[in-house]
Amino acid sequence: MTTAGRANPVRSGNPALLGVAGLAGLLLVIELAPRIGLVDERFLPPASTIAGALADEASDAAFWTALSDTIVAWAIGLAIAVAAGVLAGLVIGSVPVLRALTASTVEFLRPIPSVALIPLAVLMYGTDLASTLLLVCYASFWQVLVQVLYGVADVDPVAFETAKSFRFSAWARIRHVLWPTALPYVFTGVRLAASVALVLAITAELVIGSPGLGKEIAVAQASDAVPTMYALVVVTGILGVVINLLARTGERRLLAWHQSVRGEVAL
Amino acid sequence: MLEVKGLRKVYRSGSREVEALRDLTFTVENGELVCLVGPSGCGKTTLLRCVSGLLDPTAGDVRVNGQAVDGPPKGMAVVFQEYGRSLFPWMTVRDNVELPLKQKKVDKKRRAELVAESLDAVGLSGSESAYPWQLSGGMQQRVAIARAVAYEPQTLLMDEPFAAVDAQTRADLEDLVRQLWKRLGVTILFVTHDIDESVYLGQRVVMLSSSPTVVQDELIIDLPAERDQLTTRAAPRFIELRTRVYEQIQAAKKNTGK
Repeated sequence: MTTAGRANPVRSGNPALLGVAGLAGLLLVIELAPRIGLVDERFLPPASTIAGALADEASDAAFWTALSDTIVAWAIGLAIAVAAGVLAGLVIGSVPVLRALTASTVEFLRPIPSVALIPLAVLMYGTDLASTLLLVCYASFWQVLVQVLYGVADVDPVAFETAKSFRFSAWARIRHVLWPTALPYVFTGVRLAASVALVLAITAELVIGSPGLGKEIAVAQASDAVPTMYALVVVTGILGVVINLLARTGERRLLAWHQSVRGEVAL
Repeated sequence: MLEVKGLRKVYRSGSREVEALRDLTFTVENGELVCLVGPSGCGKTTLLRCVSGLLDPTAGDVRVNGQAVDGPPKGMAVVFQEYGRSLFPWMTVRDNVELPLKQKKVDKKRRAELVAESLDAVGLSGSESAYPWQLSGGMQQRVAIARAVAYEPQTLLMDEPFAAVDAQTRADLEDLVRQLWKRLGVTILFVTHDIDESVYLGQRVVMLSSSPTVVQDELIIDLPAERDQLTTRAAPRFIELRTRVYEQIQAAKKNTGK
């Protein structure tokens, strides 16, 4: 890293600046393409029109209700999936018999796309929040479970024997050795699950019509309010970015001791 | 007193059987510092894991003060060779040393005293808030020793604790062990593959054969209690003793079991 390189961040590849430039370019393309007739304005309105629709939405109480419905469904679903995934992962992971017993079942259930369960969800809960939750939980649970299983398997035998030799109780061994070892994996699982949960929350609302942003998108599309539809899509995108940022910040804070976060240490 | 009687350990995996320890009998008196030395691969670590109750022997028994060992016994601490993996990287030095004391239900005030005293004893005062991975290898092993010392064990097992540190650090740590042993009056069983180290440290050296392992010989180290890296290691008696141990280990390599 030379000062000359830093003086010209675009050329040296400052990722933040390049990212902003890329985004600005995309907005410009979306603004110009419909205006010069490259695409039909009915299908892709210019960026400024979408921005206008977004501003309209922001002043509409119904939009905020939909947004909060989606966030609530996402958060509750994720919380249930994480709690269940961590608990199941710790129990299954620390009992070898259970692990062997469940391995093939997990491998069978995990790849089932959550959306395949939409008919079941509708059958059981209709268009309730519960429908969305079922899909969100199912999809996120496996992400967490699999990571926790990896994490538990990663426990260092020397660390574990150290704990044993100091007569740690079974609970203390889980609390002070197993859990901190598994924590980086838990975070990876939560981060993956958080994105998947959002995808499923929107999908459920869109397809089943349970309350939330997804439903609003479907409504906007049906009523030919194309700019509004795009505005809502943009909101789901922003939601995804915010969720990812939060997850990364949390990871950085709580895992400062871990190799992946602490980087190289000069001795 | 630590008694090992007729200890045998056979590892089974499928139909394959590996006899690591054949028949080991020796005792360590209270307050004694005994070194176990043997050729590499002779099952020293297996023996230590049996003694510390981390591994069940196939036959024979281990007793600490008359009590049969069937799990990690009270009043025993182990210092492992792999300090980097034995210390918890998610905890500071202070928390690493304190955690076993919490498990032992030592009250808070006493814990703070023990942590400060033991870190001071290993020369690490001021590093309490560092993480183990921020320290050098030798310092990390000092933390592991401090953790064991703070635990106030009657018996301290050390499994090749200095095998992974450089020669100069090693000499310092050897002196540290002698000094702590004299000050605390603790019983130490020190496992090593280094013949010089065993003679320099021990009051007695127990020599093991190659695997399947038996006790090859025992030797009283009649060097003065005050030992010094320069003069002790240059003393004629030290040379004699180390030659004796060396010869026995060489003989042991040819003579596996009986």
